[in-house]
Amino acid sequence: MMTTYIRVEFARHFRDGYNLIFALLLPAAMYILFGNIPSYTAFDLGAGNVKFYLMISMAAYGAAVSTVAIAGTVATETMQGWGRQIALTKMPPAVFVGSKMIVAATVAGISAAIVFALGAATGAQVNEPWIWGASYLIVLLGAMIFACYGIGVGMVFKSESALGLASGLMVFFAFFGNVFMPLEGGMLDAARFTPMFGYVALARYPLLKDMPSGVEMAPDPLWMPTANLVAWAIIFALFAVVATRKAKARQ
Amino acid sequence: MQTLIKTEAVSLTGLTKTFSTSRTKVQAVKGIDLQIPTGQIVAFLGPNGAGKTTTIDMILGLTKPTAGAAKILGLDPPQAVSSGRVSAVLQTGGLLRDMTVKETVTVIASMHGKSDRINEVMERTGLTRIAKRRVGKCSGGEQQRIKFALALLPDPDVLILDEPTAGMDVMARREFWSTMRSEATQGRTVIFATHYLEEAQNFAERTILMSQGKIVADGATAELRQLISGRTLSASFTSEDQGEQAATFDQSVQITERNGSRFAFQCQNSDRFAAALLGEYQAYDLEISSPSLEDAFIQLTKDAS
Repeated sequence: MMTTYIRVEFARHFRDGYNLIFALLLPAAMYILFGNIPSYTAFDLGAGNVKFYLMISMAAYGAAVSTVAIAGTVATETMQGWGRQIALTKMPPAVFVGSKMIVAATVAGISAAIVFALGAATGAQVNEPWIWGASYLIVLLGAMIFACYGIGVGMVFKSESALGLASGLMVFFAFFGNVFMPLEGGMLDAARFTPMFGYVALARYPLLKDMPSGVEMAPDPLWMPTANLVAWAIIFALFAVVATRKAKARQ
Repeated sequence: MQTLIKTEAVSLTGLTKTFSTSRTKVQAVKGIDLQIPTGQIVAFLGPNGAGKTTTIDMILGLTKPTAGAAKILGLDPPQAVSSGRVSAVLQTGGLLRDMTVKETVTVIASMHGKSDRINEVMERTGLTRIAKRRVGKCSGGEQQRIKFALALLPDPDVLILDEPTAGMDVMARREFWSTMRSEATQGRTVIFATHYLEEAQNFAERTILMSQGKIVADGATAELRQLISGRTLSASFTSEDQGEQAATFDQSVQITERNGSRFAFQCQNSDRFAAALLGEYQAYDLEISSPSLEDAFIQLTKDAS
């Protein structure tokens, strides 16, 4: 029953041009835009070059945004009565949520893969090949914490336009999470507490791990991004649970 | 010798539902006891807010009762639902606009484990022709047909329809019920909620009237029909005496309202009485109306108490 559902879900998402642009093309376009400014992108950075760094950033942004958009539909569809329709079949609601997560992870995976492929094709480099795989995996797994954020926002506002807002807010999180451009000073200190900071810092860690501390762009100690990611994962999970309970009680 | 234990299709005992918010408590269903034998076609008739949908939600296990219990074919609602023995056409929503008709049926069929029935059900509910259309582009009537098809997928013994024709025009309603009549009556127990008296009359052998969370009347639809089959006639007279005299026309005539020289009557043979009013009793401004559902309620709640 799950495979049929997942198949139809994919058909729906790929029919919807709007989703496709935001999930797949926008991160790729941004990488091409920012990743090919000749003045600095060919410079070495950590174990690779600046292009590799930007590739991770854009892939992380794309994966997180796709996850928010797709996971959020769990909420909006449940509230539109689809949840009741499913409740009248033998499929448990957990399978519904699980199917959506598989779809979200797949789309996030494709989105990140496109950026990585573009990176490989246009000169993103790293000395140790395993860093390609490790960065990609962290991008993909870390994106999953934003699923709870999407579900929570969807349950609070119950409309598809709210999901647009949730995805839009991700741009803001990305700016203040040190994703798009390196922040400095007080901004960087504040950024350490925003939801995308830990996620993207962890994804960059394999690239930057050997940089001595104190150097420009040197990574924070590993515990800092990890703590940020875990804390936000818990916050988003609680938000999703509370929002779901409230939404169902009002139904 | 064989002992047959007959289980009721639906059995409700002391079913109660209270919705509480921080400030108020609303008792939507106030203790319903009800037995519906298998094979019966039953209408739940009542105005909005009577508690029909809440009752149906509890029968289907979508809402937990505050007190009391609902059993379907002797099973608890979740068991009856997951075994596909009961299914329902829900009132609001329940479809995703950007799925095609075929996708919707396919997905729900797979969730029931009945993918083999997709083509048959689509054919019988007339969806084959619009299979590739997106649900959002289907008319209200077509969307109800899709929901009806979804309900037929598990081949249920008990079929519940919550205001299946709400928002449809007259033609679509008629078409819906004719499909319904041919598809859903082969030995199935059918329970439907409606606020159209006409639908109960045409389709149900038994009608249960609900009002304010309680059952106010329960009986054969024919009886109910008789109860409220009379017409109301109102007319003005040149004098009050003349109005009172008109009330003696025959035994069935009763004065239901009077306001100066304007009288309202109830009677069985409205045609003959109307002729007499205009001729014999010199009445004017004559109005003839059939009783509304509200009138039926007033009548029946009066009878019940």
